[in-house]
Amino acid sequence: MNISKAVVTAAGKNQRTLPLQTLVDRDGVQKSALSILAEEISSAGIDQIAVVISPGDRASYEQAAGEHGRKMQFIEQTEPLGYGHAVHCAASFTGDDPFLLMVGDHLYLSTTDQSCAAQLIATATAENCSVSAVQATHESKLRNYGAVGGHRLAGSENLYQIESVREKPSPTEAEQSLVVPGLRAGNYLCFFGLHVLTPSVMEILAKQLSHGRADLSAALALLSRSERYLAHELHGRRHDIGLQYGLLTAQLALGLAGKDRDEVLTHIIELLAQSHA
Amino acid sequence: MASLLSLITSSLDEIRNQSLDQPCAELSLEKLLDECTQLDQFRREAENLYQRVRALLFLYSIHRYHIPKLLAQSEPGTIPYHGYQHFLNRRFEEAIDVFLKCQLQDGPSDGISSALASTYQRLAFQTLADQVKRSVRCVRGNQWMFRMGHPADHPLEIRSQLLTLDPTHAVYPILRERTPVRMDLTHCGWSDIFFLGMDYPEGAKVLNVSIDLAIHGKNDQPMPPVEACLRVIDQPVLRLTSVDLECSADITSLNEVFDFAKDHLGLLKAAIIASGIVPPGIEGSGQKLSDLLEKVLGPNRGLELVSNVNNIPKGSRLAVSTNLLAALISACMRATGQTQSLTGPLLENERRLVLARALLGEWIGGSGGGWQDSGGVWPGIKMITGAIAENGDSEFGISRGRLMPKHHILSTDDVPAAAREALQASLVLVHGGMAQNVGPILEMVTEKYLLRSTSAWQARLETHEVLDDILKALQTGDIKALGAATTRNFMGPIQTIIPWASNLYTETILSEIRQEMGEDFWGFWMLGGMSGGGMGFIFAPHRKAEAQQKLLGIMLRAKSALCSSLPFAMDPVVYDFSINENGTTAELESGNAAMMPLGYYSFIIPNLLSKGRSSLPPRQLAELNHFATACRTQPKMAGMKERLFDAIFPDSSGNHHAGESLDDLLTANGFDRTMHEQIGDDLKAGRIGLAQNRLAANSQIEDVLESDVLDGENAMQDRAAIARGERALADGSVAVVTLAAGAGTRWTQGAGVVKALNPFCRIAGKYRSFIEVHLAKSRRTSRLAGHEMPHVFTTSHFSHQATQQFLDHYQNFSYTGPLALSPGKSIGLRMVPTQRDMRFAWEEMAQQVLDVQQQKVRDSVRSAWLGWAEMTGEASDYTDNLAHQCIHPVGHWYEVPNMLQNGVLAKLLDHQPQLQTLVLHNIDTVGMHVDPGLLGCHLGSGAALTFEMITRRLDDRGGGLARVNGRVQLIEGLALPREEDEFHLTYYNSNTCWIQIDALLDSFGLGRADLRNLQKVQQAIRRIAAIMPTYITLKDVKKRWGRGQEDVYPVCQFEKLWVDMSQLSTLNCQFMKVPRQRGQQLKDPAQLDGWLRDGSASHLESLGDWS
Repeated sequence: MNISKAVVTAAGKNQRTLPLQTLVDRDGVQKSALSILAEEISSAGIDQIAVVISPGDRASYEQAAGEHGRKMQFIEQTEPLGYGHAVHCAASFTGDDPFLLMVGDHLYLSTTDQSCAAQLIATATAENCSVSAVQATHESKLRNYGAVGGHRLAGSENLYQIESVREKPSPTEAEQSLVVPGLRAGNYLCFFGLHVLTPSVMEILAKQLSHGRADLSAALALLSRSERYLAHELHGRRHDIGLQYGLLTAQLALGLAGKDRDEVLTHIIELLAQSHA
Repeated sequence: MASLLSLITSSLDEIRNQSLDQPCAELSLEKLLDECTQLDQFRREAENLYQRVRALLFLYSIHRYHIPKLLAQSEPGTIPYHGYQHFLNRRFEEAIDVFLKCQLQDGPSDGISSALASTYQRLAFQTLADQVKRSVRCVRGNQWMFRMGHPADHPLEIRSQLLTLDPTHAVYPILRERTPVRMDLTHCGWSDIFFLGMDYPEGAKVLNVSIDLAIHGKNDQPMPPVEACLRVIDQPVLRLTSVDLECSADITSLNEVFDFAKDHLGLLKAAIIASGIVPPGIEGSGQKLSDLLEKVLGPNRGLELVSNVNNIPKGSRLAVSTNLLAALISACMRATGQTQSLTGPLLENERRLVLARALLGEWIGGSGGGWQDSGGVWPGIKMITGAIAENGDSEFGISRGRLMPKHHILSTDDVPAAAREALQASLVLVHGGMAQNVGPILEMVTEKYLLRSTSAWQARLETHEVLDDILKALQTGDIKALGAATTRNFMGPIQTIIPWASNLYTETILSEIRQEMGEDFWGFWMLGGMSGGGMGFIFAPHRKAEAQQKLLGIMLRAKSALCSSLPFAMDPVVYDFSINENGTTAELESGNAAMMPLGYYSFIIPNLLSKGRSSLPPRQLAELNHFATACRTQPKMAGMKERLFDAIFPDSSGNHHAGESLDDLLTANGFDRTMHEQIGDDLKAGRIGLAQNRLAANSQIEDVLESDVLDGENAMQDRAAIARGERALADGSVAVVTLAAGAGTRWTQGAGVVKALNPFCRIAGKYRSFIEVHLAKSRRTSRLAGHEMPHVFTTSHFSHQATQQFLDHYQNFSYTGPLALSPGKSIGLRMVPTQRDMRFAWEEMAQQVLDVQQQKVRDSVRSAWLGWAEMTGEASDYTDNLAHQCIHPVGHWYEVPNMLQNGVLAKLLDHQPQLQTLVLHNIDTVGMHVDPGLLGCHLGSGAALTFEMITRRLDDRGGGLARVNGRVQLIEGLALPREEDEFHLTYYNSNTCWIQIDALLDSFGLGRADLRNLQKVQQAIRRIAAIMPTYITLKDVKKRWGRGQEDVYPVCQFEKLWVDMSQLSTLNCQFMKVPRQRGQQLKDPAQLDGWLRDGSASHLESLGDWS
């Protein structure tokens, strides 16, 4: 499997301004979240990026993309027909190729030399199938993510065969169908916002759209029944910048992982010392 | 013979299903004790839960039924108190060790076997209950709720649809869940008890039908009987409302959510917890409810949850409470995204989850039904069966079956539409009006199953055949055959397993309806644990309407005839019903349609109005306007204005408590207001009370010597004694006095029934009351003696009229000897107890600690009682109940003096001057009779009073025979300075007393001639009464309200007891040891099964003349 295309979704109602936010990266350079994502994608050897945006956002996205803009094409999602629809907007871009799918409101921080996107693409290439990045997540946060159920692949520490997919499940539902042996009680494999998907996903989404709306989790659930589909627990963390204090947390994580770690720590300690309970 | 262990461990069904009784009957005492040692060792090591539990119940059965028979001539033995303390505190293992050590040291005894039997039995049921609890917690979908302990971790979120305000009315939408109730068409031998289903899943099968109901002649169309409504509110509280119980509260703290008995909202609280909104894991966390609500609902928001039962009385045996709980849970789960759809029916896996949550809710609330009870959640007719535990189930390797059963919904191929219609056209559902505690029945069923009693096991197998017959009849639409099958089930297997499933009321109805409807009465069917409540009658369809009318008439007449004998909670009702083919469903109502159940407004609106419009927050003001608009415009609100008017201005002209007024009753029964006020003052001041009942702490309480007790057991065989007694009987010098004034509080849990008239058991082919049983024995004694023996029943304000009518109705049960009632002459007015006495009773007196969750509920109830006493006024008059529930008899000491006062003794002596001896006994000492040997022994001893004693068993609490500061006398349990003193006393008082009339009169300073001088008699009684101790006691009394609802309150009363006559130095008192079968008292219906099985019932049958 050769993955050379990436799709970034950024058209959500509450999501459209997030990739435009400015952060300081690990190297102490100010850049937009979109640029940081583009670097993540480039680090995995991908140089064709489609960004799905809301109508009217093109100019600000082009500006935020900076030098990465030349690798990007912007596709407008003209109707809000579900997240699956946003992904499907890039169908003509991906064509018959597998592709990397990222959400525009997440940032990733690898704990190894290899970026998160690169880790995922390496696995997809080796396993020759769709792979979603996942992270063990406490049940109290299930309301924010899609989650998968399945079992660990024999002989592997961080690969899982996906048997079921649910979007934002309740803990009740998760306990009934998403328990993965080996995880701590009350923890589930939740999507990382990073997937490598085969073109058949676009076909499933197209079928869904013929009935009105399209839902990616439902499409992935179908995918898990029709072809091999794995989950990869990456060496890294995701940061949802759309959550309350999400941007702040992401910035702190970037700062603490980079060259300005001491300075960031000093700021935090000063703040702690000055703050009143 | 192989060891009894093989009955547990054998791989062969035919060995495992053998009864224990037969092999035990062949063993000597020594061998039985050896078997017990092996069984005890086995149960300590066995890993299989059910093998362990069976071994425990084998041990119970051997110590309860088999060893005592072989111990007749052995030493009585005593029970170590510290073992009993372990028992009370549910440290059953420790208790067993103490009792076994005692048995090893002192040898086997009746007392120690009784202690071991009770402890093994409790441990068996505790083991089973623990497993059910574990399984409930381990059901997938329930586990996370026990992990969550902080609001920040709360994973649920309200669905956005519920947060959308209606633009016109500014009210939030209402989610309304409507749920049918369930009927079990098979009654498959109580096979839905968890313990059975988890050991014998193949045998756990029921045919469960979801139904809508209407009260016949009152409501138009059957409708889902229960509904739950949920909506968001603008205050960070849980607003819980029960419309049918007319109770509403704003819950503001987590502790209140877990306080189940504080109000009548326990079911709603259980739903809030079991649905995960306030998960059980957060109990005791010290967190704030408002923080938790904010996480689920958003800032400054709360939830309102309303329950409503549409005119279905409590105790219907249709699982109304469980289905209401399921409806509430379902609504809460839908609202918080735990179901796929907010509205409509549920998916199968969601129904199963609601079932699991309802089981959890029942456990949390300290109650528990069978696993089929949430059947209303499913649509139509379904077969519910036990399921074998498989790998992955939490029960796998522990029990054979799973906690959660399987549901198979029968399609119209299985049961055609025509058959469904035919069933509806023939079946009449009723509520007979009786409300009974079925808890003991369920324990009996489990015990019999695990012991494999031969007849009960055969009966259980037969219930499976009946189920097949019922299913076949349903498939073919042959409702007549269905009726035959349900009747066969009731008459055969059900009553073989549990004889107490039927009663005189049911038999009366059956006999009369059979007579009225002849061949067109096709069958009877009992719902639930026992008959008298929910019942089904099947008729030829063309006569169904007629039968409905006739049944109501028959039930009302039968209730009227038996209302003093059996516990009725309400008048009988006949239902209309229809099969509900949807199961539980929900709809979201907004705008105009967003209305709570109508009853909600009649008690909520007056509260809102009383606050004044200007002080209402905007949302409540909008609610008020919304309601007003609906009243003006919506046809379904017709009559609402009148209801509201009545609610605001209640009609105070009617008498709340129908029947006699309290003042009249007090006046008519010689109530002494001065003494009452003195007692009230003393109580309040702490001069008298439970603590003051006790003798001084330095009193010496010792066991009696063997020589202090006459050997009545020998006397019963002693020719000389027998001859002396027979002569006295032939001379007509003996009369029987039966104490029959009381209600038997424990017998019907304070239901206010005359115990003497309770038809408690089928003896010699028919149900007989205590009173009839005693007369049958007197008849036989009279016949054998050749002289008709007088028989007196003492009565009270409460029992006199009912007893007189009962005897008239049954023409004295053909008793031809002199028969008299001795009406009570003293009466007391119950009082609200002091907090001091309640705390003393709960904290200082020994009592059984309950299972954890039940104990929590009990503690919560007690806390509510303390608040009630404080609010009502400690030691104030208890008047908020029916008049006869407010007054009390003042103890059986007065019963004999009453006979002097009311002229009954004088008349007896006039009629039969040769009368010398009275034998006085309790109504429930059913094995007692006028035994010539014992009479001869008493006469030979020269005693004025001879009290009968039995050796003590664990349950025999309440004092006994002791040397008190060196003097042999009876001492009441209330007077013992220390609880443990009782456990040093070998003998327990059976309260049967032989009385020499002249010696007694002499002790009162009277002669026979003085009985005509009322004033002298009264003075004499007052003099002796003054030196008799007065005991303060707490009793439970039921207050009925609403539709079959009952609350229990503790009340305070005083009494003087006959046993204290043994303290009088002027009387020569003797004490006589008698066999247990003679002295055993029946205080609690739970004793009945053991009483039947240990041969006491057949002993009684042999004593009477039942012609």
